Amino acid sequence: MAKDAVSDMLGAVQQPIEHARGLANAHYTDPAHFAEEKNAVLFSSWAGLAVASDVPHVGDAKPLTFLGIPLLLIRDRTGQVRVFQNICRHRGMILVSEPKNIQGAIRCPYHSWCYGTDGALVSTPHVGGPGHNTHEAIDKSTLGLSEVRSHVWFDTVFINIDGTARPFEDVHANLIARWSIFDQPLHHGGADSRFVLDVQTNWKLAVENYCESYHLPWVHPGLNSYSRLEDHYNITEQGCYSGQGTLVYRQLTGEEGQVFPDFEGLSDHWISGGEYVAIYPNVLLGVQRDHAFVIVLEPVSLDQTCEHVHLYYAAPAVDDSLRARNAAQWRDVFEEDIFVVEGMYKGRSAPAFDGGRFSPVMDGPTHCFHDWVAGRIAAHRAR
Amino acid sequence: MTLEQALLDAHARHDAPALVGLYTQAADVTADNQAACFYLTQAYVYALEQGDPTATALYDRLSSQGRV
Repeated sequence: MAKDAVSDMLGAVQQPIEHARGLANAHYTDPAHFAEEKNAVLFSSWAGLAVASDVPHVGDAKPLTFLGIPLLLIRDRTGQVRVFQNICRHRGMILVSEPKNIQGAIRCPYHSWCYGTDGALVSTPHVGGPGHNTHEAIDKSTLGLSEVRSHVWFDTVFINIDGTARPFEDVHANLIARWSIFDQPLHHGGADSRFVLDVQTNWKLAVENYCESYHLPWVHPGLNSYSRLEDHYNITEQGCYSGQGTLVYRQLTGEEGQVFPDFEGLSDHWISGGEYVAIYPNVLLGVQRDHAFVIVLEPVSLDQTCEHVHLYYAAPAVDDSLRARNAAQWRDVFEEDIFVVEGMYKGRSAPAFDGGRFSPVMDGPTHCFHDWVAGRIAAHRAR
Repeated sequence: MTLEQALLDAHARHDAPALVGLYTQAADVTADNQAACFYLTQAYVYALEQGDPTATALYDRLSSQGRV
Protein backbone atom coordinates (compact mmCIF):
# COMPACT_ATOMS: atom_id res chain seq x y z
CA MET A 1 0.00 0.00 0.00
CA ALA A 2 1.28 3.47 -0.81
CA LYS A 3 2.63 5.40 2.16
CA ASP A 4 0.21 8.26 1.49
CA ALA A 5 -2.71 5.89 1.71
CA VAL A 6 -1.45 4.57 5.02
CA SER A 7 -1.03 8.12 6.32
CA ASP A 8 -4.58 8.87 5.27
CA MET A 9 -5.77 5.96 7.34
CA LEU A 10 -3.97 7.39 10.37
CA GLY A 11 -5.74 10.64 9.64
CA ALA A 12 -9.07 8.85 9.73
CA VAL A 13 -8.22 7.48 13.17
CA GLN A 14 -7.49 10.96 14.47
CA GLN A 15 -10.82 12.42 13.43
CA PRO A 16 -13.39 13.34 16.11
CA ILE A 17 -14.86 10.16 17.50
CA GLU A 18 -18.17 10.63 15.67
CA HIS A 19 -16.35 10.30 12.37
CA ALA A 20 -13.23 8.37 13.25
CA ARG A 21 -12.29 4.87 12.24
CA GLY A 22 -10.15 2.57 14.32
CA LEU A 23 -6.62 1.56 13.44
CA ALA A 24 -6.47 -0.47 10.26
CA ASN A 25 -5.86 -4.21 10.19
CA ALA A 26 -2.21 -3.80 9.26
CA HIS A 27 -1.47 -2.28 12.66
CA TYR A 28 -2.37 -5.63 14.16
CA THR A 29 -1.35 -8.18 11.56
CA ASP A 30 1.55 -6.81 9.50
CA PRO A 31 5.11 -7.51 10.72
CA ALA A 32 6.38 -4.33 9.08
CA HIS A 33 3.86 -2.27 11.02
CA PHE A 34 4.81 -4.10 14.21
CA ALA A 35 8.46 -3.26 13.60
CA GLU A 36 7.57 0.37 13.00
CA GLU A 37 5.41 0.42 16.10
CA LYS A 38 8.30 -0.79 18.23
CA ASN A 39 10.19 2.40 17.58
CA ALA A 40 7.27 4.78 17.18
CA VAL A 41 5.17 3.65 20.11
CA LEU A 42 6.96 1.31 22.49
CA PHE A 43 10.62 2.39 22.51
CA SER A 44 9.97 6.12 22.49
CA SER A 45 7.47 6.23 25.36
CA TRP A 46 7.47 5.00 28.96
CA ALA A 47 6.60 1.34 28.49
CA GLY A 48 5.88 -1.01 31.35
CA LEU A 49 8.48 -3.72 31.83
CA ALA A 50 7.87 -5.33 35.22
CA VAL A 51 7.08 -4.46 38.82
CA ALA A 52 9.59 -3.45 41.45
CA SER A 53 8.22 -6.27 43.63
CA ASP A 54 9.82 -8.68 41.16
CA VAL A 55 13.13 -7.76 42.81
CA PRO A 56 12.18 -7.16 46.45
CA HIS A 57 15.62 -7.52 48.03
CA VAL A 58 18.93 -5.75 47.50
CA GLY A 59 20.90 -7.69 44.89
CA ASP A 60 17.85 -9.38 43.38
CA ALA A 61 18.30 -9.64 39.63
CA LYS A 62 15.81 -10.84 37.05
CA PRO A 63 16.56 -11.27 33.35
CA LEU A 64 13.75 -10.12 31.07
CA THR A 65 13.20 -9.65 27.38
CA PHE A 66 11.37 -6.67 25.98
CA LEU A 67 10.62 -6.86 22.26
CA GLY A 68 13.68 -9.01 21.76
CA ILE A 69 16.02 -6.85 23.85
CA PRO A 70 17.68 -8.76 26.69
CA LEU A 71 17.33 -6.70 29.86
CA LEU A 72 18.30 -7.11 33.48
CA LEU A 73 16.05 -5.81 36.24
CA ILE A 74 18.06 -5.38 39.42
CA ARG A 75 17.83 -3.77 42.85
CA ASP A 76 21.22 -2.24 43.51
CA ARG A 77 23.11 -1.97 46.79
CA THR A 78 21.34 1.30 47.63
CA GLY A 79 17.91 -0.23 47.05
CA GLN A 80 17.32 1.53 43.75
CA VAL A 81 15.63 -0.51 41.03
CA ARG A 82 17.54 -0.24 37.76
CA VAL A 83 17.37 -1.74 34.29
CA PHE A 84 20.42 -2.63 32.22
CA GLN A 85 20.93 -4.28 28.90
CA ASN A 86 21.76 -7.81 30.01
CA ILE A 87 25.01 -8.12 28.10
CA CYS A 88 28.69 -7.96 28.88
CA ARG A 89 30.48 -5.00 27.32
CA HIS A 90 33.27 -7.37 26.27
CA ARG A 91 31.77 -9.91 23.87
CA GLY A 92 28.07 -9.27 24.24
CA MET A 93 27.45 -12.42 26.24
CA ILE A 94 24.23 -12.67 28.24
CA LEU A 95 25.20 -11.91 31.82
CA VAL A 96 22.35 -13.30 33.90
CA SER A 97 20.25 -16.13 32.53
CA GLU A 98 17.95 -16.84 35.46
CA PRO A 99 16.62 -14.90 38.47
CA LYS A 100 19.18 -14.78 41.27
CA ASN A 101 20.48 -12.68 44.10
CA ILE A 102 23.76 -10.96 43.35
CA GLN A 103 25.78 -11.28 46.55
CA GLY A 104 28.78 -9.34 45.30
CA ALA A 105 29.25 -8.71 41.61
CA ILE A 106 27.65 -9.75 38.35
CA ARG A 107 30.21 -12.06 36.77
CA CYS A 108 30.01 -12.71 33.06
CA PRO A 109 30.03 -16.48 32.61
CA TYR A 110 32.26 -16.17 29.53
CA HIS A 111 35.50 -14.33 30.48
CA SER A 112 34.42 -13.26 33.98
CA TRP A 113 34.35 -9.51 33.54
CA CYS A 114 32.57 -8.34 36.70
CA TYR A 115 30.07 -5.54 37.26
CA GLY A 116 28.62 -3.97 40.37
CA THR A 117 24.88 -3.90 40.89
CA ASP A 118 25.11 -0.24 39.87
CA GLY A 119 26.45 -1.37 36.49
CA ALA A 120 30.04 -0.25 37.03
CA LEU A 121 32.69 -2.48 35.49
CA VAL A 122 34.81 -3.53 38.47
CA SER A 123 37.09 -6.28 37.21
CA THR A 124 38.56 -7.42 33.90
CA PRO A 125 40.49 -10.56 34.79
CA HIS A 126 43.50 -11.39 32.62
CA VAL A 127 42.62 -8.59 30.21
CA GLY A 128 46.27 -7.63 29.95
CA GLY A 129 47.43 -11.27 29.78
CA PRO A 130 47.45 -14.04 32.41
CA GLY A 131 47.41 -12.50 35.87
CA HIS A 132 47.44 -8.97 34.45
CA ASN A 133 44.02 -7.50 35.11
CA THR A 134 44.31 -4.11 33.50
CA HIS A 135 45.33 -2.78 30.12
CA GLU A 136 45.74 0.82 29.08
CA ALA A 137 43.29 0.30 26.22
CA ILE A 138 40.55 -0.87 28.56
CA ASP A 139 39.14 2.05 30.53
CA LYS A 140 36.75 0.49 33.01
CA SER A 141 35.11 3.81 33.73
CA THR A 142 33.72 3.88 30.18
CA LEU A 143 32.63 0.25 30.04
CA GLY A 144 29.88 -0.04 32.59
CA LEU A 145 26.66 -1.82 31.75
CA SER A 146 24.38 0.00 29.33
CA GLU A 147 21.60 1.37 31.50
CA VAL A 148 18.07 1.73 30.22
CA ARG A 149 16.24 4.83 31.39
CA SER A 150 13.69 3.71 33.95
CA HIS A 151 11.20 5.07 36.42
CA VAL A 152 9.19 3.33 39.13
CA TRP A 153 5.66 4.49 39.87
CA PHE A 154 2.78 2.52 41.33
CA ASP A 155 5.35 -0.26 41.84
CA THR A 156 5.57 -0.47 38.06
CA VAL A 157 8.94 -0.29 36.34
CA PHE A 158 8.58 1.87 33.26
CA ILE A 159 11.36 2.07 30.69
CA ASN A 160 12.13 4.46 27.89
CA ILE A 161 14.32 2.49 25.53
CA ASP A 162 15.33 5.26 23.15
CA GLY A 163 15.85 7.83 25.89
CA THR A 164 13.82 10.53 24.15
CA ALA A 165 10.69 10.67 26.28
CA ARG A 166 10.04 13.63 28.52
CA PRO A 167 10.50 12.79 32.22
CA PHE A 168 7.90 10.34 33.47
CA GLU A 169 6.64 12.78 36.09
CA ASP A 170 5.94 15.30 33.33
CA VAL A 171 4.31 12.91 30.89
CA HIS A 172 2.06 11.43 33.53
CA ALA A 173 1.63 14.40 35.86
CA ASN A 174 -2.13 14.26 35.36
CA LEU A 175 -2.58 10.66 36.49
CA ILE A 176 -0.06 11.06 39.31
CA ALA A 177 -2.16 13.96 40.60
CA ARG A 178 -5.48 12.20 39.97
CA TRP A 179 -4.38 9.20 42.02
CA SER A 180 -2.19 11.08 44.51
CA ILE A 181 -4.22 9.68 47.40
CA PHE A 182 -2.79 6.28 46.51
CA ASP A 183 0.77 7.56 46.80
CA GLN A 184 1.27 5.37 49.84
CA PRO A 185 2.79 1.95 50.34
CA LEU A 186 1.40 -0.69 48.01
CA HIS A 187 2.02 -4.14 49.42
CA HIS A 188 2.26 -6.90 46.87
CA GLY A 189 0.07 -9.82 47.89
CA GLY A 190 2.84 -12.32 47.20
CA ALA A 191 2.98 -15.51 45.21
CA ASP A 192 -0.77 -16.06 45.08
CA SER A 193 -1.33 -12.49 43.95
CA ARG A 194 0.62 -12.70 40.72
CA PHE A 195 -0.33 -14.65 37.63
CA VAL A 196 0.36 -14.58 33.93
CA LEU A 197 -2.13 -14.96 31.11
CA ASP A 198 -0.77 -15.87 27.68
CA VAL A 199 -3.06 -14.49 25.04
CA GLN A 200 -2.98 -14.94 21.28
CA THR A 201 -3.52 -11.34 20.38
CA ASN A 202 -1.82 -8.09 19.56
CA TRP A 203 -1.06 -6.13 22.73
CA LYS A 204 -3.10 -3.12 21.64
CA LEU A 205 -6.32 -5.10 21.67
CA ALA A 206 -5.78 -5.92 25.34
CA VAL A 207 -5.47 -2.18 26.03
CA GLU A 208 -8.54 -1.37 23.99
CA ASN A 209 -10.72 -3.93 25.70
CA TYR A 210 -9.54 -2.96 29.18
CA CYS A 211 -10.17 0.72 28.96
CA GLU A 212 -13.86 0.69 28.04
CA SER A 213 -16.87 -0.35 30.10
CA TYR A 214 -19.16 -0.91 27.11
CA HIS A 215 -18.51 -4.65 27.14
CA LEU A 216 -19.08 -5.24 30.83
CA PRO A 217 -22.76 -6.33 30.76
CA TRP A 218 -22.03 -8.84 28.02
CA VAL A 219 -18.63 -10.21 28.88
CA HIS A 220 -18.65 -9.77 32.67
CA PRO A 221 -22.26 -10.27 33.76
CA GLY A 222 -21.01 -11.05 37.27
CA LEU A 223 -19.63 -7.55 37.62
CA ASN A 224 -22.75 -6.07 36.10
CA SER A 225 -24.88 -7.63 38.82
CA TYR A 226 -23.65 -5.05 41.32
CA SER A 227 -21.83 -2.44 39.25
CA ARG A 228 -24.19 -1.53 36.45
CA LEU A 229 -23.13 -0.02 33.18
CA GLU A 230 -24.81 3.22 34.12
CA ASP A 231 -22.63 3.43 37.23
CA HIS A 232 -19.55 3.76 35.03
CA TYR A 233 -17.92 6.83 33.54
CA ASN A 234 -15.28 7.31 30.88
CA ILE A 235 -11.80 8.54 31.66
CA THR A 236 -9.91 10.12 28.76
CA GLU A 237 -6.70 12.10 29.07
CA GLN A 238 -5.50 12.79 25.56
CA GLY A 239 -2.02 11.51 24.89
CA CYS A 240 -1.55 9.87 28.29
CA TYR A 241 -4.14 7.42 29.51
CA SER A 242 -7.76 6.39 29.29
CA GLY A 243 -10.08 4.05 31.03
CA GLN A 244 -13.21 3.79 33.07
CA GLY A 245 -14.39 4.49 36.55
CA THR A 246 -17.23 3.06 38.57
CA LEU A 247 -19.28 4.84 41.19
CA VAL A 248 -20.05 1.53 42.84
CA TYR A 249 -17.33 -0.73 44.16
CA ARG A 250 -18.38 -3.62 46.33
CA GLN A 251 -15.80 -4.88 48.80
CA LEU A 252 -15.05 -8.55 48.94
CA THR A 253 -16.28 -9.87 52.29
CA GLY A 254 -15.26 -13.06 54.05
CA GLU A 255 -17.61 -15.53 55.68
CA GLU A 256 -17.06 -13.86 59.05
CA GLY A 257 -17.49 -10.38 57.65
CA GLN A 258 -13.79 -9.66 57.27
CA VAL A 259 -12.66 -7.19 54.60
CA PHE A 260 -9.30 -5.92 53.43
CA PRO A 261 -8.06 -2.80 55.22
CA ASP A 262 -8.56 0.44 53.34
CA PHE A 263 -5.82 2.67 52.03
CA GLU A 264 -5.39 5.65 54.31
CA GLY A 265 -7.08 9.00 53.98
CA LEU A 266 -9.55 8.18 51.22
CA SER A 267 -12.31 10.58 50.30
CA ASP A 268 -15.93 9.49 49.90
CA HIS A 269 -15.34 9.21 46.16
CA TRP A 270 -12.76 6.50 46.68
CA ILE A 271 -14.71 4.76 49.44
CA SER A 272 -17.59 4.09 47.09
CA GLY A 273 -15.91 3.76 43.69
CA GLY A 274 -12.93 2.57 41.71
CA GLU A 275 -10.98 3.50 38.61
CA TYR A 276 -9.32 1.44 35.91
CA VAL A 277 -7.00 3.03 33.40
CA ALA A 278 -4.60 2.04 30.67
CA ILE A 279 -1.48 4.16 31.00
CA TYR A 280 -0.05 4.27 27.52
CA PRO A 281 1.34 2.28 26.00
CA ASN A 282 1.01 -1.04 27.81
CA VAL A 283 0.19 -0.88 31.51
CA LEU A 284 -3.28 -1.45 32.93
CA LEU A 285 -3.97 -0.20 36.44
CA GLY A 286 -6.86 -0.47 38.83
CA VAL A 287 -7.52 1.18 42.19
CA GLN A 288 -10.19 0.60 44.79
CA ARG A 289 -10.47 1.48 48.47
CA ASP A 290 -8.81 -1.71 49.68
CA HIS A 291 -6.64 -3.07 46.88
CA ALA A 292 -5.08 -2.19 43.57
CA PHE A 293 -3.67 -4.06 40.64
CA VAL A 294 -1.10 -3.67 37.92
CA ILE A 295 -1.14 -5.55 34.62
CA VAL A 296 1.96 -5.23 32.50
CA LEU A 297 1.22 -6.23 28.93
CA GLU A 298 4.30 -7.83 27.45
CA PRO A 299 4.14 -7.51 23.66
CA VAL A 300 5.88 -10.79 22.93
CA SER A 301 5.23 -10.60 19.22
CA LEU A 302 2.75 -9.31 16.71
CA ASP A 303 0.16 -11.88 17.76
CA GLN A 304 1.20 -12.89 21.25
CA THR A 305 0.81 -10.96 24.48
CA CYS A 306 1.68 -11.95 28.03
CA GLU A 307 -0.43 -10.31 30.70
CA HIS A 308 1.51 -10.09 33.97
CA VAL A 309 -1.01 -9.47 36.72
CA HIS A 310 -0.11 -8.25 40.25
CA LEU A 311 -2.44 -7.50 43.15
CA TYR A 312 -1.60 -5.06 45.95
CA TYR A 313 -3.01 -4.27 49.36
CA ALA A 314 -2.90 -1.45 51.88
CA ALA A 315 -1.26 -3.59 54.54
CA PRO A 316 1.72 -5.94 54.37
CA ALA A 317 -0.35 -8.87 55.62
CA VAL A 318 -4.02 -9.44 54.82
CA ASP A 319 -6.42 -12.32 55.38
CA ASP A 320 -5.02 -15.31 53.48
CA SER A 321 -8.28 -16.84 52.35
CA LEU A 322 -9.75 -13.52 51.33
CA ARG A 323 -6.59 -12.65 49.38
CA ALA A 324 -6.77 -15.99 47.57
CA ARG A 325 -10.45 -15.42 46.77
CA ASN A 326 -9.70 -11.98 45.46
CA ALA A 327 -6.95 -13.26 43.19
CA ALA A 328 -9.23 -16.01 41.89
CA GLN A 329 -12.04 -13.53 41.30
CA TRP A 330 -9.84 -11.18 39.29
CA ARG A 331 -8.36 -14.06 37.38
CA ASP A 332 -11.86 -15.12 36.39
CA VAL A 333 -12.64 -11.60 35.20
CA PHE A 334 -9.45 -11.26 33.17
CA GLU A 335 -9.92 -14.72 31.69
CA GLU A 336 -13.41 -13.73 30.60
CA ASP A 337 -11.74 -11.13 28.39
CA ILE A 338 -9.46 -13.58 26.57
CA PHE A 339 -11.99 -14.77 23.98
CA VAL A 340 -12.68 -11.14 23.13
CA VAL A 341 -9.11 -10.01 22.57
CA GLU A 342 -8.30 -13.22 20.72
CA GLY A 343 -11.49 -12.95 18.68
CA MET A 344 -10.78 -9.36 17.70
CA TYR A 345 -7.28 -10.40 16.67
CA LYS A 346 -8.62 -13.11 14.39
CA GLY A 347 -11.08 -10.59 13.04
CA ARG A 348 -8.24 -8.32 11.95
CA SER A 349 -7.52 -10.79 9.13
CA ALA A 350 -10.83 -9.96 7.49
CA PRO A 351 -9.98 -7.64 4.58
CA ALA A 352 -13.35 -5.92 4.73
CA PHE A 353 -12.72 -4.61 8.23
CA ASP A 354 -11.97 -0.92 7.95
CA GLY A 355 -10.88 -0.25 11.51
CA GLY A 356 -14.44 -0.11 12.76
CA ARG A 357 -16.60 2.71 14.03
CA PHE A 358 -16.75 3.94 17.59
CA SER A 359 -19.73 4.61 19.78
CA PRO A 360 -19.36 8.34 20.43
CA VAL A 361 -20.72 7.77 23.93
CA MET A 362 -19.20 4.47 25.00
CA ASP A 363 -15.91 4.16 23.10
CA GLY A 364 -14.18 7.40 24.04
CA PRO A 365 -11.38 5.69 25.99
CA THR A 366 -10.64 3.32 23.10
CA HIS A 367 -10.62 6.14 20.58
CA CYS A 368 -8.32 8.12 22.87
CA PHE A 369 -5.82 5.24 22.75
CA HIS A 370 -6.11 4.85 18.97
CA ASP A 371 -5.62 8.57 18.54
CA TRP A 372 -2.44 8.39 20.64
CA VAL A 373 -1.04 5.42 18.72
CA ALA A 374 -1.83 7.05 15.38
CA GLY A 375 -0.22 10.28 16.51
CA ARG A 376 2.95 8.53 17.61
CA ILE A 377 3.22 6.68 14.31
CA ALA A 378 2.52 9.78 12.26
CA ALA A 379 5.16 11.73 14.19
CA HIS A 380 7.64 8.90 13.69
CA ARG A 381 7.03 8.87 9.96
CA ALA A 382 7.42 12.61 9.77
CA ARG A 383 10.95 12.50 11.21
CA MET B 1 43.25 -35.65 46.10
CA THR B 2 45.56 -33.29 44.26
CA LEU B 3 44.95 -29.58 44.26
CA GLU B 4 44.34 -29.73 40.53
CA GLN B 5 41.69 -32.43 40.97
CA ALA B 6 40.09 -30.48 43.80
CA LEU B 7 39.87 -27.43 41.54
CA LEU B 8 38.32 -29.44 38.73
CA ASP B 9 35.78 -30.92 41.12
CA ALA B 10 34.91 -27.49 42.53
CA HIS B 11 34.44 -26.14 39.02
CA ALA B 12 32.26 -29.12 38.12
CA ARG B 13 29.90 -28.45 41.01
CA HIS B 14 30.06 -24.65 40.58
CA ASP B 15 31.30 -24.33 44.15
CA ALA B 16 32.49 -20.74 44.15
CA PRO B 17 33.40 -20.57 47.86
CA ALA B 18 35.62 -23.61 47.41
CA LEU B 19 37.18 -22.11 44.30
CA VAL B 20 38.21 -19.01 46.25
CA GLY B 21 40.03 -21.12 48.78
CA LEU B 22 41.59 -23.54 46.30
CA TYR B 23 42.86 -20.85 43.94
CA THR B 24 44.27 -18.93 46.90
CA GLN B 25 45.98 -22.11 48.01
CA ALA B 26 47.38 -22.61 44.51
CA ALA B 27 48.80 -19.08 44.61
CA ASP B 28 50.33 -19.70 47.99
CA VAL B 29 52.16 -22.90 47.04
CA THR B 30 53.66 -21.89 43.72
CA ALA B 31 57.10 -20.35 43.52
CA ASP B 32 56.27 -18.81 40.16
CA ASN B 33 55.04 -15.24 40.65
CA GLN B 34 53.41 -15.19 37.23
CA ALA B 35 51.42 -18.30 38.09
CA ALA B 36 50.62 -16.91 41.54
CA CYS B 37 49.07 -13.81 40.00
CA PHE B 38 46.99 -15.96 37.69
CA TYR B 39 45.66 -17.97 40.63
CA LEU B 40 45.09 -14.88 42.75
CA THR B 41 43.08 -13.37 39.91
CA GLN B 42 40.91 -16.47 39.74
CA ALA B 43 40.38 -16.42 43.50
CA TYR B 44 39.66 -12.71 43.51
CA VAL B 45 37.01 -12.91 40.81
CA TYR B 46 35.10 -15.70 42.53
CA ALA B 47 35.34 -13.86 45.84
CA LEU B 48 34.15 -10.65 44.22
CA GLU B 49 31.18 -12.44 42.67
CA GLN B 50 30.05 -13.78 46.03
CA GLY B 51 30.70 -10.67 48.05
CA ASP B 52 33.25 -12.72 50.00
CA PRO B 53 35.17 -10.41 52.34
CA THR B 54 38.45 -12.08 51.34
CA ALA B 55 38.11 -10.22 48.03
CA THR B 56 39.71 -7.18 49.66
CA ALA B 57 42.82 -9.05 50.75
CA LEU B 58 43.11 -10.77 47.38
CA TYR B 59 42.79 -7.42 45.64
CA ASP B 60 45.52 -6.00 47.86
CA ARG B 61 47.84 -8.90 46.98
CA LEU B 62 47.27 -8.33 43.27
CA SER B 63 47.65 -4.60 43.73
CA SER B 64 51.02 -5.06 45.42
CA GLN B 65 52.14 -6.82 42.24
CA GLY B 66 50.74 -4.07 40.03
CA ARG B 67 48.14 -6.43 38.60
CA VAL B 68 44.90 -4.48 39.16
